[in-house]
Amino acid sequence: MHLMRAFAGAAGIAALLMSSTALVQAADVSFLTHWAPDTVAKLEAAAATYSQSHPDTKITVRAVPFGDLLTTLRSSGGGAGGATIAGIYDAWLPDLVKDGLVTPVPDAIATDTKANWPGGVIGAASIGGTLYGIPNEIDVYALNYNKKLFAAAGITEAPKTWDEFFAAAEKLTDKSKGQQGFGMINSWAAGVLHPFASLLVSNGGDLVVDGKPVLDSKQATETFELYEKLIKSGYSDPAMATADANTTGPFLDSFVSGKTGMIIMANWWESALKAGMGDAFADVATAPIPVGPSGDKARSISYSWMTVVNSKASVEEQAAAWDFLNWLNGPESGPNGASAMGDILVSMGILPSRTSDGAAFAEKLSSDPFLKGYTETLADAKGFPVVLGGQEFSESLQKTLESIQFGQISAADAQATAQSDATEILARNAK
Amino acid sequence: MQRPNTKSTIAMLAPATGLIAVFVLVPMLMTIWLSFQDWSTQTGFETAKFVGVQNFIDLFAANSVGRDFKAALVNTAIYTVLSVVLILPLSVAFGLLVHQKIAPGGIVLRTVLFSTYMVPMIAVALVFSKLYSPTEGPINQILGWVGIPPQKWLSSPQTALVSVVLLNVWQQVGYFTVLVVAGLTQIPDSLHEAARIDGANAGQRFWSITLPMLGNTLLFSAVIAIINAVQVFEPVALITQGGPVNATNVLTYHIRRVGIERAQGGLGSAMAVTLMLSLIVAIGVLFAFARRSREDRK
Repeated sequence: MHLMRAFAGAAGIAALLMSSTALVQAADVSFLTHWAPDTVAKLEAAAATYSQSHPDTKITVRAVPFGDLLTTLRSSGGGAGGATIAGIYDAWLPDLVKDGLVTPVPDAIATDTKANWPGGVIGAASIGGTLYGIPNEIDVYALNYNKKLFAAAGITEAPKTWDEFFAAAEKLTDKSKGQQGFGMINSWAAGVLHPFASLLVSNGGDLVVDGKPVLDSKQATETFELYEKLIKSGYSDPAMATADANTTGPFLDSFVSGKTGMIIMANWWESALKAGMGDAFADVATAPIPVGPSGDKARSISYSWMTVVNSKASVEEQAAAWDFLNWLNGPESGPNGASAMGDILVSMGILPSRTSDGAAFAEKLSSDPFLKGYTETLADAKGFPVVLGGQEFSESLQKTLESIQFGQISAADAQATAQSDATEILARNAK
Repeated sequence: MQRPNTKSTIAMLAPATGLIAVFVLVPMLMTIWLSFQDWSTQTGFETAKFVGVQNFIDLFAANSVGRDFKAALVNTAIYTVLSVVLILPLSVAFGLLVHQKIAPGGIVLRTVLFSTYMVPMIAVALVFSKLYSPTEGPINQILGWVGIPPQKWLSSPQTALVSVVLLNVWQQVGYFTVLVVAGLTQIPDSLHEAARIDGANAGQRFWSITLPMLGNTLLFSAVIAIINAVQVFEPVALITQGGPVNATNVLTYHIRRVGIERAQGGLGSAMAVTLMLSLIVAIGVLFAFARRSREDRK
């Protein structure tokens, strides 16, 4: 009898153990990002902290270059074996939602997210009113200029209008030294588009309104003409403009080596400038985008990033992924009421979009003169359009702007081509 | 009596032909089928909608889709022709240098030439992107020593594609030199001996013996060089991303952009089918040209 009782007891304990194991199912969560190795290490450290209190969740981080991120998402990220979490650029969201690759944020987390992020950022992470990602970084464009070159050219302050901007470009250009006044970008879609769009909105214009392109506006005419003038006058040299999203190429080389007087770039560029310039980074200053003849105030464009969850992942993986993201972006995971995500972003010179992160890092952001120039322009920034076919629209406009850079077409032809191509692309993709 | 033989033949051929059917024919047929569909690569095949030849019409339309495709097709054709035109004569010249026994160093030269073929493309891309830098690149500095003004290389739409071709030639010429050397070893010495006795000089021996006897090797080299050139992807993806102004946007890179980045699977498949047909036509023309040359010599 004792033996029978012992067997029964052992069987009961085994059954209990098995049932509790079944209740707490382990989840493997993979996180796809384009961040650099040192930032990935910080994310892995945050994941390790989370795993201490959630031993059933195993989180791994996979990084690919920015140029390969969308392709990786498209080719493998959407399958059941793809990444559970991915960091994405907001312009990609409509197409990923249309193809059913990402899952909506669970109600409880969505309510909390909507309460803690600015409405514009929430809007960029939503389609049809449904929130699909937890926003993290926000990027905005500003004018960067080399104070040393400004002083040598006798320019005392940053240009506030396009006339001042053009005059500064003229003074800064010195072909005998291989020096250009203003640096444009080519060979990288976002790098080409965002500075152009920043000048356009600072001239009172827009790229897209209510899903329709408005590149045929007077403001756009003036922006295309500004580009043409800068190229024809030789104040911007397309041979110094090649760049890619990994911040390599003549565009960066020219600015860090003091061969370019002014550029229009985003705040995340700071780490690349610091790495390339060393002590000479102190020569770089930031100013608002100069106001065009049809503009009322200095404006810029902004875009945001968010983390989304793979709709093809298992229910357990999705639940674990959202729980981890909620913690990562929440106020308890980082120092002094900041989120761990905010802490990672600020370490890269990137502005976090969570309202409480802005407050937690306010002192740090305001004490960095480079970033201060960006935070000051954020309030008047317009979001880059988030539309179906956004990538194709961007690549098409990129090609047209590059055609102006290399003198292949006039400003008028470029504007007509840009508007007609954008109309066709957005209409086709909206079907 | 024939039945058992037929059965065993089928049984022996089945594994190989089955694998070919699964891994070669099925994807090819799928691509052809998809080229007639409107389909997002992110959704299942069941979502594909038959659109007839609309994708092919779009490829040659006057909008941005058509313009970009035609430009990519032309870029691919220019890249292929330039690559073949440069690689084949260079490989013959290097092959003769390696094969000759008058001066020492042939084996060293062959090793050096072939080593470029073994260097991973990522390393080649990193090095060449710096070598080609218009302001700080060593190539422009060397040109400056002999009074040639700095070139824009990858930074200008006029020179970017040629710059990528030169990179390709630099990497591939060693491989084709080895093929030519293999062909040269098949030419009997007695032919050269007889020609020499008849008073033929080196040039006459090259044009009348060496080159005709290398015919099959050069035909094979040309076919491989064309296929390699048409499939060029890595240097474009790693260095130029198709720019500037789409000057280096070759078809494989463009298909990746359309089919994967934009998820337009039907359109991407139509481009792939058009590329495949173009390649078949090009190879067919090459074989017809080779056959005609052979018949003319008879």
